[in-house]
Amino acid sequence: MIGRDYSHDDELRATKVHVTQGESHVSTDPNVVMTTVLGSCIAACIRDPQAGVGGMNHFLLPDAGDGRSGSGGDAVRYGAYAMELLINGLLKKGARRERLEAKIFGGGKLFDSLSDVGASNAAFAERFLRDEGIPIVSSSVGGVSARRVEFWPVTGRVRQRLVAVDNAPQEVRRPAPIPQPASNAGDLELF
Amino acid sequence: MPQASSISVLVVDDQLTMRALIRNALQQIGFKDIREAPDGEEALKNLLAKPANLVISDFNMPKMDGLALLRAVRSHPPIRQTAFVMLTGRADRELVQRAVQFGVNNYCVKPFTVQGLRDKIEQVFGQLT
Repeated sequence: MIGRDYSHDDELRATKVHVTQGESHVSTDPNVVMTTVLGSCIAACIRDPQAGVGGMNHFLLPDAGDGRSGSGGDAVRYGAYAMELLINGLLKKGARRERLEAKIFGGGKLFDSLSDVGASNAAFAERFLRDEGIPIVSSSVGGVSARRVEFWPVTGRVRQRLVAVDNAPQEVRRPAPIPQPASNAGDLELF
Repeated sequence: MPQASSISVLVVDDQLTMRALIRNALQQIGFKDIREAPDGEEALKNLLAKPANLVISDFNMPKMDGLALLRAVRSHPPIRQTAFVMLTGRADRELVQRAVQFGVNNYCVKPFTVQGLRDKIEQVFGQLT
C-alpha cells in the first residue's frame, strides 16, 4: 500500500510494517511485526490462529460516529468498509471467518471536548465484531493516553505502551479523518 | 417514474453489518421489499425460488463471489433480466470490465453514500419516487 513504512529492526529481528490511518495490512510472515500509534483512532488486530495469518487496520470514523445506534450513517459505512478490507485480506490469505479472533486498541480521549470521538470509535468496533461473530480476545480502549501498539500477526502477540499526550505525534493528538472520495469518484466511464 | 416501494431487492454480502447498512440505505431511499443473502450460492437459490427486480451484490464472498453470481443470473432464463448492481471495494477497472462483459447494469464503490447508491440505482431504473 502507498506510504507504508517498511524497516528492519535488528533488536527484534523482525520486519516492521507501520500501519497508518486509513491503511490495513495482512501477513503470514512470522518475522513481521505491525506497528501503529493511536489516539482516538482504533486499530483492530484480527487473525486466524490455525491458518497462521493475521492483520491490522487503523481507522477513524469520519465524524462522531453512530456505532451505538447503528443507524447506517456515513461514519458507520466507512468503519464497516475499513473492517471489511482487513477481513477480506485475511480470507484471501487462507483465513476462515469462523476461526477469526480480534484484539482492539485505541479510542482514547486525548483532549477535552464535549464529544468523545474515541468512545464512538471503540463502540463501533466492538459492535461490529460482536455482530459479525468475531470474538474479542483482548482489548485496551479508552483512557486519556495515546498508545504505541506492536502486533505479531502470526502468533497474535501484542505489545502496548501508553504514551503521554504531550509526547504523542501531532497526527495522533488531533487526527483528521481521511477524506472520502465523492461517491462517484474513480468511476470508470463504462455506462 | 418507478416507485422504489414497488421494486423488490435482494442484498448479497457476506458481512452482516454491511447487509444491514445497505438495507438501511435502501429504506432511506424508499425501498420496502428487501431480502438478504450471505453469499452468491444462497442468493441464486433465493432468486430462483422468488425472483427480485434488483440485486445489489458484493464482489468478495465465500462459496460464490459476485461475478459468479452475475454470470449465473444471466444464464438462468427466468431471472436473466434481473437488474444487477455490483458493489466494489474500489474502482477496480478489470473487475468492472469483466462485470460489464457479463451484463452488470451498474456498480457502486464502497464506502458509498445513500445519495451515491440512489444515483446508481436511478441510472438503471430512472428517477425513483
